Amino acid sequence: MRKTNWSQALGSGIRWLIGLLICIVVMLPITWVLSISLKPPEEWVAYPPTLVPIEPTFSNYIVLFQPGNPVGGVSEMVSAAQPVTRAFVNSLIVVPIATAASVLIGFLASYATVRFQAGGATLPLFVLTTRMFPPVAFAVPLLVYFRMLNLIDTQLALILMYTGFTIAFSLWMMRGFIEGVPRHVEEAAILDGASPWRVLLTITLPLVRGGLAATGLFVFILNWTEFLLAQVFTSREAITIPVQVSHYVGAVGRFYGPMAALGIVASIPVVVAGYIIQRYLVTGFTFGLVRE
Amino acid sequence: MTEYAPSLVRPSVRNALSRLERKLSSERVFGIALIAPMQLLLWFLLIIPTLIVIYLSFVRWEPRMGVDWWDAPFAFLGNYTRVITDVRFWSALGRSAGIVVVAVTLEFLIGMALALFFSRSFPGKRIMTSAILYPMMLPWVVVGLCFYLLFLDRGPVNYVLTQILNRPINVEWFKHPPLAMTTIILADVWQWTPFLFLILYSGLGALPKEPVEAAMTLGASRWQIFRYITLPMLKPVILIALVIRSLEAFKIFDVVFIMTGGGPGTATETISVYIYRVGFVFGQLSYAAAMAVLILVLVTMITRMGVRPLEK
Repeated sequence: MRKTNWSQALGSGIRWLIGLLICIVVMLPITWVLSISLKPPEEWVAYPPTLVPIEPTFSNYIVLFQPGNPVGGVSEMVSAAQPVTRAFVNSLIVVPIATAASVLIGFLASYATVRFQAGGATLPLFVLTTRMFPPVAFAVPLLVYFRMLNLIDTQLALILMYTGFTIAFSLWMMRGFIEGVPRHVEEAAILDGASPWRVLLTITLPLVRGGLAATGLFVFILNWTEFLLAQVFTSREAITIPVQVSHYVGAVGRFYGPMAALGIVASIPVVVAGYIIQRYLVTGFTFGLVRE
Repeated sequence: MTEYAPSLVRPSVRNALSRLERKLSSERVFGIALIAPMQLLLWFLLIIPTLIVIYLSFVRWEPRMGVDWWDAPFAFLGNYTRVITDVRFWSALGRSAGIVVVAVTLEFLIGMALALFFSRSFPGKRIMTSAILYPMMLPWVVVGLCFYLLFLDRGPVNYVLTQILNRPINVEWFKHPPLAMTTIILADVWQWTPFLFLILYSGLGALPKEPVEAAMTLGASRWQIFRYITLPMLKPVILIALVIRSLEAFKIFDVVFIMTGGGPGTATETISVYIYRVGFVFGQLSYAAAMAVLILVLVTMITRMGVRPLEK
């Protein structure tokens, strides 16, 4: 008896060690970026590289938003690039609007397809085709099309595309939540004479509030991280944060510090959102086909 | 119209039932109203663009030609014959397919190993399983940035290799085709193994315990239990995960764009990057359209084959 306890304790101790090692390996890449973002220019390419900055500084983060300010020699290198303020404002306008629109439209359509098979049984499958193909295949005709409508380099173009290309996720994720609402609850209200809109808004909607929030955060992650469409359809006025990251990487001068700082700032909102909806990540990425 | 036997149903109930029937017949209208916004968006962003891309693929048109695209001269199959004989197109397609095979296989194997490892309970497991999930939430461009900074000439990877091998290593990772490809695949594996881990881990957790316990009392080995009980029961989840991940991996663009830009030369140019360059850098939109149409057809065909086992 005693022996098995000992070997069990040893076993879980070894597992704990291996688990810790795995975590460290997974954490290293982003830790390195975080480290560079806190280093002054002399340390960006210092050799041998150090994981912990010798003279940590926040100047990389400060110059992102005030490229004119002389902060420890970084500013001359960054002044060549645009300040990131515009990209932040654009992302903060485009992403929430597109996300809200996607979730709202997706919820209504999801309700109709679950409850009344509106649009036929194949409609939900048809919607999935928007996610099947490389987005570049749609970007070609959309560019031609948006030129005619004068939508190039506008926030509206991005809002339309981001709503449309995430609707598949909203529709499919909400299906599970709506199926979870017992039908007899709605039927009771109908028998009491409530109109279908009333049933939808006062009975079903409050019951799937949690689902709407989870779907919203998931779609927010997708829209915040989208790069290709933003890269094709914006050039100056409507650029988003991922496009700004690519401008920084592509710029001459190689200012690694601000580059890393921007990467960290760009990641914080989506990582926070991701951990809030951790339970629903699988559901989201598999369109609700696999549920936890 | 359904008729209710008057002797069995009281009038008040009958009224309610006929009211319900009226509601049900108006359900159709209600349903159409609810899906209308989505239908509009689908027309605007899926159906009309598909028609335009097909039309464009049959004409010869570049924005710099100065004519509107609907006035462009017909090329008939000209763009398609050009694609068929375009070595760069097929190499790019091959590279994307190669990334799908290599990266998704690695992600599946590592994800499975991690899922099995974490399926036993030990202290700190909960927080560890959460901690390793974050790469899949990061923006793709940030993942590209991460690996770009890691593999710089004087970056940490070369430094660690120097320490391990005990001789100076100054590999220029992004200048050698096979090495550049390796960094891209590593980036994809790092970002998406957590997805396969998470889906397999939760799949394992949801399996019924009885078959495994029964096999254990019958004296089956751990490998036998995994091979003949756990794996077959997990199969539906595995298939869904592999189909979805493969479709996503085939789209790979952001990481390549940030890390190598498709270079050196065209050595890491994936199909998305090539179509992007042809359409939006070289401005040959009708040629890009023909490639896009071929990709749409190809992906549809392959997905149908991949989804068939799922339908069973």
